[in-house]
Amino acid sequence: MTTLTSQRRSAPPTAAPVARRRRPWTSRGRLVAAALLTLAFVSPIYLTIVNAFKTQDQIIQNPEAPPAPPTLRNLSDALSRPDHIVQIGLGNSALTVVASLVLIIPLGAVFSFWLTRRSALFRRIVLAVFAAGLMIPPAVVLLPTIKILTFLHLDHSYPGLILANVGGGYLSFAVFVYSGFLRSVPAEIVEAAAIDGASPLRIWWKIVMPLLRPATATVAIFLSLWIWNDFMNPQFILGPLHGQTITTGLYLSLGQYSTNYAQLFGIMLLAAVIPVAGYLAVQKQFIAGLTTGSTK
Amino acid sequence: MLTRVRPRRGDPGLTAFALLALGLYVLFIIVPVVMSGWKSLTDENPIMAQSHFIGFANYTQMTHDDALAASLSFTLVMAGAVTIIANAAGIGFAILLNKTSLSFRMMRTVAFLPQVLSGVIVGFVWRYILAQDGILNHVLLALRIIGTPISWLGSPHLAMFSVGLVAAWVLTGFTTVVHLAALQSIPVELYQAATVDGAGRWQQFRRITFPMIAPGTTISVTISLITMLKLYDIIAALTGGGPAYATQSTALYIINLAFTDDRFGYASAVAMLLLAISAVIGLSVTTLLRRREVDL
Repeated sequence: MTTLTSQRRSAPPTAAPVARRRRPWTSRGRLVAAALLTLAFVSPIYLTIVNAFKTQDQIIQNPEAPPAPPTLRNLSDALSRPDHIVQIGLGNSALTVVASLVLIIPLGAVFSFWLTRRSALFRRIVLAVFAAGLMIPPAVVLLPTIKILTFLHLDHSYPGLILANVGGGYLSFAVFVYSGFLRSVPAEIVEAAAIDGASPLRIWWKIVMPLLRPATATVAIFLSLWIWNDFMNPQFILGPLHGQTITTGLYLSLGQYSTNYAQLFGIMLLAAVIPVAGYLAVQKQFIAGLTTGSTK
Repeated sequence: MLTRVRPRRGDPGLTAFALLALGLYVLFIIVPVVMSGWKSLTDENPIMAQSHFIGFANYTQMTHDDALAASLSFTLVMAGAVTIIANAAGIGFAILLNKTSLSFRMMRTVAFLPQVLSGVIVGFVWRYILAQDGILNHVLLALRIIGTPISWLGSPHLAMFSVGLVAAWVLTGFTTVVHLAALQSIPVELYQAATVDGAGRWQQFRRITFPMIAPGTTISVTISLITMLKLYDIIAALTGGGPAYATQSTALYIINLAFTDDRFGYASAVAMLLLAISAVIGLSVTTLLRRREVDL
């Protein structure tokens, strides 16, 4: 035993090839393993897609099989419902996302720029308070939020939902992204503009905002996804009688058709297709935004 | 550094805009928390004309509320277990996918997809997969791993397991992408040097990979915990909190108390408790992980 160990220690040149030979898989093996694991991981998404194009009988008999022959019946059924829940839901969600973003982006950006012009202590306190907005579970503030909206006569309305989105945790996220990004903007640019006599609001709009474009992309991408997928706020702030967003509409119709899988998968596919297409279209910026801060 | 710029003169336009943002944040985050705190000391109930100040009676009542104890232990166990599992799986998955060829890049893209879907869709797809006549039982029966269908969502213990499984699935999409970015920031030279020194695969992981991805792990673990502490939509769609309230998260319990039982005062007290727990866990875990980044 002892001789063997000492032998190995005294012969470093052989150590590397041994280690290489012991590698558990070759690169082809790794590709196969990765592909199998990825396929297993996304199989629920595969099921959603293939079953959206199958009849109820096909789904029950062969849930995992590809659609043969495929049918568009589920999608056309979902779109031709008398209550138009899919079209109305998609429209309402789009409206909520766009209106919320149009307000959050300038407010978050101006606020972060304004913060850079305050004292370090003030800035640190305010950012700590805004960090809380990211951590507070939405269920904690939901009931008082509805009270406040009722007081403003905005309860159970889209303006109320949008206002609650703008003031809530989403604004925290925007402020964090913008504040982080502003730290890398050189002071000289703003100083030069100030010497030229530009007002701070003009400097913000003409100089800071264009510099912040990557941050704006991150804020816009993530907030549209989160607001689009939000369920609790529309469910309770909007309530059941004031139209549905796509998530609450989906929840409602899933309750009605709990065993009609063909119909359910048709609606789910239509509800998922916009965020998934959006993600695939901008995935580079998406991943970049997601991972700022995770590396140093 | 933009933060060095001091205001030379008043900037009323900018300040007005910034104060609007601050005001909205105060109105929809700070005021609701204060209102919750105040209401938690009352017996407010929309059925009664008046509410009364009852001191800490709601808090005393929480100490012998079995449903609350069950929801808290479910939420905390889920938060801990799912965070650990999703991050371990994410690190493993990220290491497996950490190659730059086209096939690996495609796998990385789809690995994030669970994060793009709304919790309502995720909940319902898995409800279909885990149903008594669902595809999981179908596959397990066909492979003769089980003899009779298992009721994944029908018995309390299995339903808790199922919620954990689904939450871990969603979060793994996120933890994988964050850790992939962290992995790409590690200089290749470190591994080359380690190989020359004769370090094996495990040692390379233990001494290089794991410490070097620490900043990514900090973000990934913190966000996983926050997500789990506010978990609502997946549970609403997957189990509705059942069977027999076995999968009722604290967030769901607050919603049920407020909107089904109309116990506003008591719901506010439970909300304050969840807020305190989230704050303590969020802050202590972040501090711990930051310190660990320095140590490693």
